[in-house]
Amino acid sequence: MKKYFQNIAIGALSLIKGLVVTFKNIFCPKITLQYPSERQSMAERFRGLVDLRVNKCIVCSQCVRICPTACLSLSAKLTEEKKKALESFKYNMELCCFCGLCEQVCPVSAVYLNKIYEVASFNRQDLYIDLLNPEKYVKFVNPAVK
Amino acid sequence: METALKESKCITTEEFLINMGPQHPSTHGVLYLELKLDGEVALGCTVHLGYLHRGMEKIAESRTLTQFIPFTDRLDYIASMNNNLAFVLAAEKLLGLEVNARAKYIRVVIAELNRIASHLLGIGCFAQDLGAFATPLFYCFRDREKIVDIFNELCGNRLTYNYMRIGGVQFDFTKEIEIKIKEFIKYMSNKVNDYEWLLSGNVIFLARTKNVGVLLKEVAINYGVTGPNLRASGVKWDLRKDEPYSGYENFQFDIPTGINGDSWDRYKVKLEEIKESLKIIEQAIGALPEGDPTVKAGRQHKLPVGEAYMRSENPRGELGFYIAGDGSFNPYRLKIRPPSFSNLSVIAELVKGCKIADVVCILGSLDIVMGEIDR
Ligand code: SF4
Ligand code: SF4
Repeated sequence: MKKYFQNIAIGALSLIKGLVVTFKNIFCPKITLQYPSERQSMAERFRGLVDLRVNKCIVCSQCVRICPTACLSLSAKLTEEKKKALESFKYNMELCCFCGLCEQVCPVSAVYLNKIYEVASFNRQDLYIDLLNPEKYVKFVNPAVK
Repeated sequence: METALKESKCITTEEFLINMGPQHPSTHGVLYLELKLDGEVALGCTVHLGYLHRGMEKIAESRTLTQFIPFTDRLDYIASMNNNLAFVLAAEKLLGLEVNARAKYIRVVIAELNRIASHLLGIGCFAQDLGAFATPLFYCFRDREKIVDIFNELCGNRLTYNYMRIGGVQFDFTKEIEIKIKEFIKYMSNKVNDYEWLLSGNVIFLARTKNVGVLLKEVAINYGVTGPNLRASGVKWDLRKDEPYSGYENFQFDIPTGINGDSWDRYKVKLEEIKESLKIIEQAIGALPEGDPTVKAGRQHKLPVGEAYMRSENPRGELGFYIAGDGSFNPYRLKIRPPSFSNLSVIAELVKGCKIADVVCILGSLDIVMGEIDR
């Protein structure tokens, strides 16, 4: 009988201890953001979608070679001044694992990872991206962010 | 009366099988358990694997070493940094590379931070499996978020970091990150006591975990169980102490062990390890050597003819990488020894004679991640 009441006392005490912890937390500052109206600002090194500064690229193909999932492909042409220039630069976002290796090997920082992270799409074709198209990511930028 | 008696003698009970998973909230991933039950008591269980198989080991044979680092992130995705570390250590052993002191210390800080993050998630999910809905899990997530934020600032991603490099790391610590880590140590040292109050002292939690799923020392060793699960059974085995790598020999810390090897001990060892990890981080960040730890990703390494095996202490146990080289840029063969695989295989022993609700408790206390089991 004594044990029975002892157990109840211990149980009640542990309940109070737990409540003390929750009570302390009531006065902590709020940390939840009301997504999508509130958003966290992305870190400076954040790795979003692959993007290209077209006129910087020297067509060295290092990014294509390092990519572990082979999702980048480019083709080059010769300009009239006998210089190499980009003809096409395709990016298959479906395969990309956002590892950032392409950004790190690019000698002139032409290819980089931007800060877009909402990449859901109803259409698979939307994920095959032509990096030379300046309007390529318009569909992924939520009007609420702009 | 007589006929009723006769009929009741005809009633026989039968064992029956139920399927737990592959889509089940407490199997932590796509795991399929075939449970053999007698009423509510489990008689045994068969584990079916392979739902998350991505052929990692085969993929490695057509990738260079640097290209394979992002894939190691996806083994035990709760502790990506530790996977990165284990892999680059194996690669460095094969290539015979030396790493400078600052890189070693940075790796230790990062690996221990990730260990804390992983244990927090393990504890939170375990409490939720036991029915403590939301509160402990949310507290754990809140504290883990601080670590994830530090990693996000450091390398630009929140879960799959791809941070370690063969011969060093990708980015050096900035002053702000060092300050953030120091603040986190202070913050977390206080918060650990909250968990003690919230969970360790709670009678319901104690009743659900004490003497549930007792893993004997001998059984644990025979099955190759490692990490906190082994230490909870009373075996003082930690690669950071017993086979130090990456400069762990320079730090003072204890190895917490359990006594009974039950679910409670497995929880308690994890909680104690968080405190030990904080100690290690404090020592390492206070004595960061000078130098440049960064390595360019573009540097490719030709593998020598030969083989290397390196193991390191992951949050879940011993993670080993075996790499065989044949003189080309890609490994000839790569084998991964994941800790969760051995930790899970012991479950058939543990569930015998348990109630079905305790199966969930045992699975939660073993803290498995399917990503590295199926790989
Ligand atoms: S982020 Fe990684 S996977 Fe994606 S394109 Fe760059 S190298 Fe390839
Ligand atoms: S590595 Fe940079 S410069 Fe070279 S092809 Fe790629 S984007 Fe162009």
